[in-house]
Amino acid sequence: MKKVVLRVFGMTCNDCVSRVRAGLLEREGVLDASVSLKDGTAVVQIDEGVVRPDDLELLPVFKGGRYRAQVRSVE
Amino acid sequence: MNDEYDLVIIGWGAAGFAAAIKASEITSGQARIALIGDGPLGGTCVNFGCVPSKYLIEAAAEAHAGSRHRGVSLARPSVDFRELMNGLREAVAGERTRKYEQVIARYENVELIHGRASFVNDREVVVNGRRISGYNFLVSTGSSPVIPDVPGISEFMTTNNFWNMSEMPSTLVIIGGGAAGLEIGQAMSRLGSEVHIVEPRRLVPPHADPDASSIIARSLQADGVRLHLGFTAARAEDGYLIIKGNGEELRIRADAVLVSAGRTPNVEGLNLDAARVAYGKNGVATSRTMQTSNPRIYAAGDVVAQRFMLETLAAREGAVAAENMYEHLGIEVNELEFPRALFTQPQMASVGTLEDECAGCRSKSVPLESVPRARIAGDTDGLFKVVVDREGRVVGVHVVAPNASEIIVEGAMAVRHGLSLSDIVDQPHVFPTISEGIKLAAQSFSRNVEDMPCCVE
Ligand SMILES: Cc1cc2nc3c(=O)[nH]c(=O)nc-3n(C[C@H](O)[C@H](O)[C@H](O)COP(=O)(O)OP(=O)(O)OC[C@H]3O[C@@H](n4cnc5c(N)ncnc54)[C@H](O)[C@@H]3O)c2cc1C
Repeated sequence: MKKVVLRVFGMTCNDCVSRVRAGLLEREGVLDASVSLKDGTAVVQIDEGVVRPDDLELLPVFKGGRYRAQVRSVE
Repeated sequence: MNDEYDLVIIGWGAAGFAAAIKASEITSGQARIALIGDGPLGGTCVNFGCVPSKYLIEAAAEAHAGSRHRGVSLARPSVDFRELMNGLREAVAGERTRKYEQVIARYENVELIHGRASFVNDREVVVNGRRISGYNFLVSTGSSPVIPDVPGISEFMTTNNFWNMSEMPSTLVIIGGGAAGLEIGQAMSRLGSEVHIVEPRRLVPPHADPDASSIIARSLQADGVRLHLGFTAARAEDGYLIIKGNGEELRIRADAVLVSAGRTPNVEGLNLDAARVAYGKNGVATSRTMQTSNPRIYAAGDVVAQRFMLETLAAREGAVAAENMYEHLGIEVNELEFPRALFTQPQMASVGTLEDECAGCRSKSVPLESVPRARIAGDTDGLFKVVVDREGRVVGVHVVAPNASEIIVEGAMAVRHGLSLSDIVDQPHVFPTISEGIKLAAQSFSRNVEDMPCCVE
């Protein structure tokens, strides 16, 4: 298991937080995600055998719409 | 406020601005951006480059305007150079305010920081003793004029301070026959200076289509510019510049000297090694996605080791760098798709490859004289040349015409989209326009244009 910290851009309300969290949890291999509106971050627990940290940046929730993500750290 | 940014941009010219704005748009204004710069906001293009030079050229064209038609005569215009330069500086200040200062002020997420930046490590730069850390960086520090070593020369201008001039020099010697030297040289000659251009190579501008270059050289000479091709500036003494070449030595009176002998990327003083960014004297090495050897650090514009120094290329690269940071799409920039122009009269514009750079390519050209509109206008110095590869795709277009800089965009579309000759021939044009020249050049691969009546499809 790995802990990935994402910088998330484009969130403006609690609704955004739920959408980003749901978008992350949709992906197989994402075990848990906590999203902070105040910091513009998401802390994501992943099973690195199933999903790579960089794959998170390319999830549908971060494409097309208003949210964008960057992997900032992997532990 | 802490000094931690999502993006730190070093250099606030075209590339830096484009990146700051694109990054803000993509992140809904949430990326915290430091835009660091030295000198006036907007960098080279607006302050010392495109804008003042095109202003001078426009003014000189008015001063030079004559009639080409029987029965029309124009009064000889007079030039108040001091007033002209005041107007030029006002225009520059106006553009800077409108397109840079006021624009960036609308972005609350972008902080402007005045000073020279230098990397401390790959996460931090220092500006006037202040440490600024960031996640992504963009190196967009532009380029500076190259100053050749000419013994005895004490006072000279570069394109950085040429625009501060108020007195028209009676003789102006320009060292370097590149785009800036030719444009400024022709304009100053038209305004009344005696202009000499000294260039070691035989072709002006260098790296251009040779047929196109010779038309430009002829046009400048016809305007009174003295072109010293094959000559180098050897030394200066008592208000004269001694130039050598072709086994000769000439003494030219020089009331003013403008050095425009090329530009070098601004990599000095950035301490790029500390950030593990690979670079050489030709600039910062990047992939086509504008990423440097350090994946979190990008570079864009004149500082990049690449062939062309263009405002449009700088801005595109800055925007693409920002897109690649936040969109993760790996968008690439192909500089050969960028059209470039020399704003002399006639203008010269090119896109893609030159004939002699491309093995197996074929080319055809038609003189501007073959284009009906040019004959009607009485302005026939020019040509259209099209270069195609083995598969018949258009890979280069070179134009000399009064409005070549506007017309070249059709060629740029052809090169960018890999169009064929028949795509160009089948494209309806307007009769009578100069732009029909590209169609004629494409037709000339399969028929003799001199045997064609007007408007042949
Ligand atoms: C006379 C002339 C005419 C031109 N005409 C045209 C034209 O008609 N069309 C065209 O497309 N192009 C033209 N160009 C070229 C065009 O101006 C440049 O390609 C373009 O401006 C490059 O933009 P840039 O953002 O890369 O660099 P710049 O605009 O040079 O910006 C770089 C900025 O970085 C700053 N800087 C440098 N080092 C540091 C540091 N260590 N820390 C902080 N800041 C730093 C500089 O002071 C500057 O503000 C012309 C150039 C000249 C000189």
